[in-house]
Amino acid sequence: MPLTYFKIATTTVGSGGASTIEFTSIPSTYTDLVVLISARSTGVDPNIMIRFNSSSSNFSQKRLISDGSSVVSAGTYGEWSAWATLSTDTASTFGNSLIYVSNYGSSNYKSLSSDATGENNATANNMTLGAELWSNTAAITSVSFVMGSSYNFAQHSTATL
Amino acid sequence: MAVVSIKNKLRRGNLLVGNEAYDPGGFVPIATVTVGSGGASTVEFTSIPSTYTHLQVRCFVQTNRGTYGVDSMRLGVNADTSSSYAYHYLRGSGSSVVGASSTSLTTITEISTVGCGTTTGGTFGVSIIDIFDYANTNKYKTFRNLNGTDINGTIASVGGFISLVSALWMKTDAITSLKFTPDSGTAFTNYSHFALYGIKAAS
Repeated sequence: MPLTYFKIATTTVGSGGASTIEFTSIPSTYTDLVVLISARSTGVDPNIMIRFNSSSSNFSQKRLISDGSSVVSAGTYGEWSAWATLSTDTASTFGNSLIYVSNYGSSNYKSLSSDATGENNATANNMTLGAELWSNTAAITSVSFVMGSSYNFAQHSTATL
Repeated sequence: MAVVSIKNKLRRGNLLVGNEAYDPGGFVPIATVTVGSGGASTVEFTSIPSTYTHLQVRCFVQTNRGTYGVDSMRLGVNADTSSSYAYHYLRGSGSSVVGASSTSLTTITEISTVGCGTTTGGTFGVSIIDIFDYANTNKYKTFRNLNGTDINGTIASVGGFISLVSALWMKTDAITSLKFTPDSGTAFTNYSHFALYGIKAAS
């Protein structure tokens, strides 16, 4: 149970977009990490992939997902963790995701939870509640995010650790 | 000199010269509203400073709606009543789950489910609403809310909901005020509590 939150770093994507958002040299002095992401894709894949210590391996997850009308529960392997809006969604609108990483410095496997949404002035919209596991005992010293299908983060996307 | 609290097992430095600088953290209380015994038809945060990166509202809410055990709460921004709002939700009732949406609204009509004091007494709904980049004039504003209400049974066949809500305000203006109103009820009831926090940018 954290006493409070401390700001560690913020990234804002500039003109031209960015293929990766990365936080490096994360200090080991906290208990948990929280990442807040406001993101828009330059393409039509809304998935944002998380990587710890530059690794995209050993991630698994359970998710509850809505597309704006139907709902599914899914269990998958992979490092997907957050949503962005699509380039075809309502202009100037960004997805809104929170990722909570517990005991990031421990020598156990790392557990994450996330609640993530796109947004769109239309029925179609992606939303998810997720539980995720990184089956690796290394302390987390860097967290990075890449957009699905090799698209970029659009300008004005932000991430706060 | 540091002080160790035996009761809470907390260690805090005081503000004397020579001690480590006190950092209050990046999560800062801006304002709180607790509804009194007479109720309140609206709860509003005004003159929200633009000095934070994100906002968060934490609330514990009940309305005076009758007949049902659960009500909804509306949210308007900067007193804007144009058709500039939309929302989507992913909602479970304990037995089923649905996804739904509504667009071109004059307010976010279902930012959260809340309790109903008339029918359930002490039952309140709880919500944590995140508003990212609320002062960024390059973006329409989005809201993400994880909320829930449970009434320990059912009234009119409804026993409560757990919901993830996403909402949109299609304006790039910085958010300077947030106004909450009951959906079906006419007032928020006694002890309903709303707290607004600012999240600082990294320095």
